[in-house]
Amino acid sequence: MGTIRVRFILVALVVSFFAVGMAAFLNYFKYKSTIGNIVKSRVLVVGRGIENSVQASLQLGMQFSELSQLPQLMQREKSSDRLVRGIDVFDYSGQVIYSTDRARVGQKVPATWTLAAERSKTTEWATEATDEYVAGISVKNAFDLTVGFLALRYSRDEVEQAAAAAGRKILLAALASFIGIAIVAPLALIVVIRRFERDLRTLEAAASHLEDRAQPPPSTGSAFDTAIGHLRESLRDANKSLDDLRAKLDTAG
Amino acid sequence: MNTLRALLALACLALMLVADGDARAQTQVRPYRIYAITFRGMTDVERGFQEYFAARRIPVQIIFRDLNRDASRMPGFLDEIRATKPDLVYTWGTSVTLGVVGTYDSYDPSKHITDIPVVFTLVAAPVLAKIVPDLKASRRNVTGVFHVAPTEAQIRAMASYRPFKSIGILYTPTEQNSVVVVDEVREVSKRLGFAVIAKPLKLDSAKRVTAEGAPEMIRELKEQKVDWLYLPPDSYLGTQAKNVIIPAAMEHRLPTFASTEQLMETGALTGLVSRYHSIGQFTAYKAEQILVHKVAPSKIPVETLTRFSLQVRMDVAEALKLPPPLPMFNYAELITKPQVGAAQ
Amino acid sequence: MLEKNYLWRIYWRLAGVIMVCVVVALAVVSYFSHRVFERELVPETEQKAATVAASVRALMLKATGYGVPFDKLYGVEQTFGEVFEENPEFSYAAVTDLDGQLLFARGKEPDGVREYFRRPAVVAVGLDPTATWTATRVGAQYFITMPIASDKPLGMLHIGIDGKFVDNVLLEVMLDVVVVLVVSLFFTLELLNFMAGARLASGLGEFAQQVERMRSGDFTATARIRANDEIGRLLRRIDAAIDHLNVRYEFLVGELEDKMRAAAGPRREALKPAMGALEVMRSRLRFGSAPKDAEGDEMNLNRIRAPLFAFILAEEMTRSYLPTYVNQLLVAIPGFSPQIVIGLPIMLFMLIVALGQPYLGSWSERVGRRRAMLIGASIATVGFAATALAINLYDLLLWRSLCALGYAMVFVAAQGYVLDRTGHDNRAQGFALFIGAIMVATVCGPSIGGILADNIGFRLSFAVSAVMALASLLAIARLPKVEVRTTTSPRPSRGPRMREIMALMVNKRFMTLTGLAAVPAKVILTGVCFYLVPLYIVSIGNTSAMAGRMLMVYAVMMVLIVPLSASLSDASMRRDRYVSVGLIISGLSGLLLLISDSFLVLFGVVFLLGLGQALSIAAQSALVAEHCQEEIRIYGHDAVYGVYRLFERLGNALGPLIASVLVIFWGYQGAFIAISALVLVCGIAFTIATRGLDWQPQPVTQ
Repeated sequence: MGTIRVRFILVALVVSFFAVGMAAFLNYFKYKSTIGNIVKSRVLVVGRGIENSVQASLQLGMQFSELSQLPQLMQREKSSDRLVRGIDVFDYSGQVIYSTDRARVGQKVPATWTLAAERSKTTEWATEATDEYVAGISVKNAFDLTVGFLALRYSRDEVEQAAAAAGRKILLAALASFIGIAIVAPLALIVVIRRFERDLRTLEAAASHLEDRAQPPPSTGSAFDTAIGHLRESLRDANKSLDDLRAKLDTAG
Repeated sequence: MNTLRALLALACLALMLVADGDARAQTQVRPYRIYAITFRGMTDVERGFQEYFAARRIPVQIIFRDLNRDASRMPGFLDEIRATKPDLVYTWGTSVTLGVVGTYDSYDPSKHITDIPVVFTLVAAPVLAKIVPDLKASRRNVTGVFHVAPTEAQIRAMASYRPFKSIGILYTPTEQNSVVVVDEVREVSKRLGFAVIAKPLKLDSAKRVTAEGAPEMIRELKEQKVDWLYLPPDSYLGTQAKNVIIPAAMEHRLPTFASTEQLMETGALTGLVSRYHSIGQFTAYKAEQILVHKVAPSKIPVETLTRFSLQVRMDVAEALKLPPPLPMFNYAELITKPQVGAAQ
Repeated sequence: MLEKNYLWRIYWRLAGVIMVCVVVALAVVSYFSHRVFERELVPETEQKAATVAASVRALMLKATGYGVPFDKLYGVEQTFGEVFEENPEFSYAAVTDLDGQLLFARGKEPDGVREYFRRPAVVAVGLDPTATWTATRVGAQYFITMPIASDKPLGMLHIGIDGKFVDNVLLEVMLDVVVVLVVSLFFTLELLNFMAGARLASGLGEFAQQVERMRSGDFTATARIRANDEIGRLLRRIDAAIDHLNVRYEFLVGELEDKMRAAAGPRREALKPAMGALEVMRSRLRFGSAPKDAEGDEMNLNRIRAPLFAFILAEEMTRSYLPTYVNQLLVAIPGFSPQIVIGLPIMLFMLIVALGQPYLGSWSERVGRRRAMLIGASIATVGFAATALAINLYDLLLWRSLCALGYAMVFVAAQGYVLDRTGHDNRAQGFALFIGAIMVATVCGPSIGGILADNIGFRLSFAVSAVMALASLLAIARLPKVEVRTTTSPRPSRGPRMREIMALMVNKRFMTLTGLAAVPAKVILTGVCFYLVPLYIVSIGNTSAMAGRMLMVYAVMMVLIVPLSASLSDASMRRDRYVSVGLIISGLSGLLLLISDSFLVLFGVVFLLGLGQALSIAAQSALVAEHCQEEIRIYGHDAVYGVYRLFERLGNALGPLIASVLVIFWGYQGAFIAISALVLVCGIAFTIATRGLDWQPQPVTQ
């Protein structure tokens, strides 16, 4: 006994490992994306405030490159949320025009930023830099031409630390339930397997009595009764033929 | 402030013309030459037009000529255009544009300009004025920008200020422009479900339109429980708004909605208008398509802005006790001092 | 077959127990995740609510700055409405004056909130302009309260976060968890079959065979080595009984022969009855040792299932997100609309599979099935890995072509493997096993792939596919090295000849079936499922995981309905009616989008499409044999089916092309509707064309 039992239990373990693993994976990533979105939308609320004021200036006929009060506003907004590391405004070519970080003015932003902005179906876009996340808003003029971009850089840590902490907890829960299942599943499976094994034993027992001339053993109720019946019948039939031959041989002397 | 900004812009332009390191400029050593004709001197439109090129670092050389409301100067300009052969002609307003290109069904090649691309701006109704047969494609060497916001956009702006069930309109029955807009409002009303009470201004014995009786009409409208008085893009109405129409409306505490910047300036509560500066930029964008990207004007659609300025006169709002809804403070242009012209 | 059913009952019972365990485990994980989410997300959301509140406050201060009295502000509710629209987790917002009296509010008012507004601690916040914000739990909501002050205190702004928002976030996860559950069920059955079942099934199969053989009077002894497990012991018992019989038989025959040799005359006469009995017995029963044949193939056949499943799974996983990935890598190809370019990799894939299959069939026969599969899986593994690293569309096309080539090789060789090991009697069963592995892969693949793509990105998901293909490579390597050919396997397959294609193409009967039923069915399959669904779902702001779930609905329909319709169409109704009904249902599916464009309707579309396809698919190919007897007589069975399959697969390649062109003109919804309408028209035309025709097999007359 046993090899089949082991195999079935192995199947149960593999499948539950897959299911629990997937569930933990899903929950973890859902958590990560949810917290990422919450933080991103919070940063974008700040961004919308700045964009509104840029739009108001543009409507008054000011040039994108001559928004003199913008740096102060950006500085103020940056300091209002500790999460925001820096705010940049750059033009269609990717050149930074205003920034809370003076050294960045005149530099080009990575091409991935403008690409992310172009790919986005709305005016909002997002991308990742090595150590920070970037959420942005495309600034469009009165005839839907994108005149520039607003980018808010914010710390990766906030999101990642939260995700890592939650990830650990989810992993623990998953491990615990996997261990639980590893204990419970074999026990539960044995109930089914035992029935199967009993069937096989009955079959074996029946097979060991195949050649008995006695009455067939009482029906076991197992699924194999008919098959056993057939076997016995065939054997009896063959034996009868041989008996017949024996008898004829004997009468012939 | 404005002069300072204009000076700055000019300085930018000059700087750019002298030393421009942009790649596009290097391929195009000679600046594009544009011949611009204005109707009543320089406006914000021209400023926006020039600033667009500056911002995009496109070298242009613009020769400005002013008609100064005097049609007799036009032939001289046309001769000059033929002599100097600019890359593009810019025309301001309906009469200048018609003077340069004529109507699409009866222009005179010996008189009108046909071989040089023409970009018009600030034409209220280019199809009605027969400048182009169709907005999608002009089928002529002409394209341009019109400045009146679509009627439905205006109606929606009105509703977002204060929802309404019924609006009143005063208009000049002899002005086709106005009649068309009134029809459009009726069309929109069927879709959005509101009532329209339109009253034509009276004609005097010489069949000339008169403002007489307008205040009574406004009183009747108020009695008929209209929620708004809509002022269509109507030249005669524009001349009477400040002294007759708006005071009457204020007296009956009827909010007014202006369809043009000119009407807005006469003291209407609110209105959806095109900023001249944006119109100028958009006109420059069309010019860029022709000059830089070599698109045939006949294939460039005649368009207006996609985003308009919603202006609100705060003193009027206060007088009517109708403050703008809170979200509007985010995007509306709030005018605090009475009678400040938005455009020059 | 009794034993087969018995075994499946055992499997289902085992699967049931495993599923119950899995459900419990998932419930535990979900419960703990919920607690983690609640604990960690609420503070973050409060922080965000504070930022939003600050921006609303700034707007109100701007308005009061223009001279609008604080309590006469207009449209505050409208502003709140806009806030709710952008932040569905906020459910209530209010402005109170300095005494805590409600001025403006929007959303469902929580119980006890008015008392909260008047609490001294809350009122104190309003009077303290330096206060930032406070968070409190009121009823089922988390409340943010913030003072509003210009040069003097004006009032307070409150935003309520729905306490149930965490539930809503996790509801989306639950959908995926259900998908995981369904996939787990299929995995369980597949694994039971692979890890334990193959051996059990072959053991029980042998037992059944033995019973049948003995019933038919065959008592020859098989010199088979029995496994040392429960069934092996059982078989050994039977072997022993047979051996005993044989010994008795040999002994009797020997004795009889001895006596016959020794006897003469009357003695011989006396032995006559015995001789007669022996003759009779010999005619009825057989003894001795069985001829050594190539049995044990049952086992081999089952072993193909696991590697095939793993391999197909690798490809199926990419279905739900490939178009979106291509969209991301898109480079403009002059002269092509982007829509067509997105469909290009799918088209190319299908085209290579379609054109490659006939030729790869004979190739795999030459090099050996196992080797062919090894080569194919290696090529595909490289293809998947390179796709994960693709730089742009051009090299992606090359990598996808490798995947296609590998796919075609493995598919054809696996098919050949089954063909080689089956005779006439068990071929259908062999193919059921083959199709079964593919079906299960189509259920599990797209949904898991979509989930992966959403969470770890497209490139890493392709890497997972590469790992999957590599795993299949290892499983293939473990297949028996010996190539087997049964005598009944068909003669070498070959690609259809041009002459046959041309002749069949102008054949009305053949084209009615191929052009009006088979090709449209494939066009709607690849056009809708592989191209439109993934792109449309993502374009309406949903995820690749949702696209995967959609495709799973389709696959589950196939798994459930195909066996049913296959047996029904044999038994009850005429096959062509099944094809008609199936086509018309598929054709009606897309028209559902005329009602609404929500993704729930899209579920209906995919459901109906799956139903329609499942109804017609089994009947379709069987119809070729019924319908085109004349053609089969002229060109041969293989040629007709070869051309039929070729056209079908070209339909696969055509699907994304047609769909992409339709998208250019009519947008996604229009394309769904148009492609369905096309199939509907074909379905109706097919019904009319086959109406009143007699499909009963007719004797071939000269």
